[in-house]
Amino acid sequence: MDKAEIKKRLNDIQSLPTLPPIVSKLNEMVADEEITAVKLGKVIEKDQVLTSKLLKMVNSSFFGFPQRISTVSNAIVLLGFNVIKTLIVTSSIFEVMQASDVGLFEHSLGCATACGIIAKRRDIKNPEEVSTAGLIHDLGKIVLRSELPDEYEAIVAKAKEKGLYMRDMEKATIGVGHGEIGGILARQWNLPERLVFPIEYHHKPEQAPDFKEIAAIVHFSDILIRAVGFGNGGDPWVPPLDHGAWERIKLTKSQMKEVIAELDEKLLELQDFTLDIKVEG
Amino acid sequence: MQRIPIKLAKAGMVLAKDAVTPEGQVLCGAGTSLSEELIARLKRQGVLVISVQGHPVRLPGEMVLSEKLKELDRRFSKVKDDPVLRALKHLIGEHLVIEEKGEEFLEKLKKGS
Ligand SMILES: [Fe+2]
Ligand SMILES: [Fe+2]
Repeated sequence: MDKAEIKKRLNDIQSLPTLPPIVSKLNEMVADEEITAVKLGKVIEKDQVLTSKLLKMVNSSFFGFPQRISTVSNAIVLLGFNVIKTLIVTSSIFEVMQASDVGLFEHSLGCATACGIIAKRRDIKNPEEVSTAGLIHDLGKIVLRSELPDEYEAIVAKAKEKGLYMRDMEKATIGVGHGEIGGILARQWNLPERLVFPIEYHHKPEQAPDFKEIAAIVHFSDILIRAVGFGNGGDPWVPPLDHGAWERIKLTKSQMKEVIAELDEKLLELQDFTLDIKVEG
Repeated sequence: MQRIPIKLAKAGMVLAKDAVTPEGQVLCGAGTSLSEELIARLKRQGVLVISVQGHPVRLPGEMVLSEKLKELDRRFSKVKDDPVLRALKHLIGEHLVIEEKGEEFLEKLKKGS
């Protein structure tokens, strides 16, 4: 199967839950420059299930707001529309992920947590956007699994048998990696490039056409979360580090120490969060 | 420091962080030594998890320190030659030791070796 065919398959996704209809409406509303967070919030809040899911996510420890966010319009003001929209668009996919691959779900939440910690230290304008990029960086894997189940199984089996990275087996088997697949999807959903590029290039952040710093943070967070052994990204190994990206965001030994301690603490809170979801689900 | 479900709390354990309800209300502060009565009260008020000093409980499925360090080595086995990642592995290893045995233990370990 070549890339064009894969793209075609992705354009016509059947097995994944479809985008909530509210998304296109929201896109239209956002195009209107007069629109306020309050108005947008009101539209979203008409959907109670979506609202409660959304509030749960925005209050989770990886965004780390000290006070509880209790309304959608507050969430829009604090996190920005890009983040809220991404959470809405991906909420059903995360449900699939949680049910079919808890390890990857935890890997994603953990990566988002690490992204937030590093982004805040680097004084990035909207660190929640970086957390969100981390949250969805491996969406390509879920799509791969649900859209191309046979190929996916072959990839997993081969990676295990040969003791190799999943990403290399993807390339060898279907010609594209989950980074690219995630990028294709994110574009289809009209997510902004500051989210698309970090997803698409999370294994090779220096090749991103723009937003290299965010891509570098997602890249390193993906490594860091595997390094501490939280969740499961498909294979058990810490992947190679891109040294160009590291030069961009590099941390001193003592900063790294602090990041590890902070991450460990947040991951414990995160476990409460996933436990909470499991109990409710 | 270890985070444990309140069910596993025992008198004599010392809080490493404030005990809070899921709503974020602080009930008692870090450093408090737990008594049976206090544990019962925390449960009544809806506290689910607490952070205690040291590493008093081995949770089901939790590895002992030596296994954790071995796993750490295994995870890094493909990137052994990368100096940045080697340093990262070293720091994570130290963190694991400190979490279970405390800072002093690590210092002693460093002097001994
Ligand atoms: Fe990945
Ligand atoms: Fe990943």
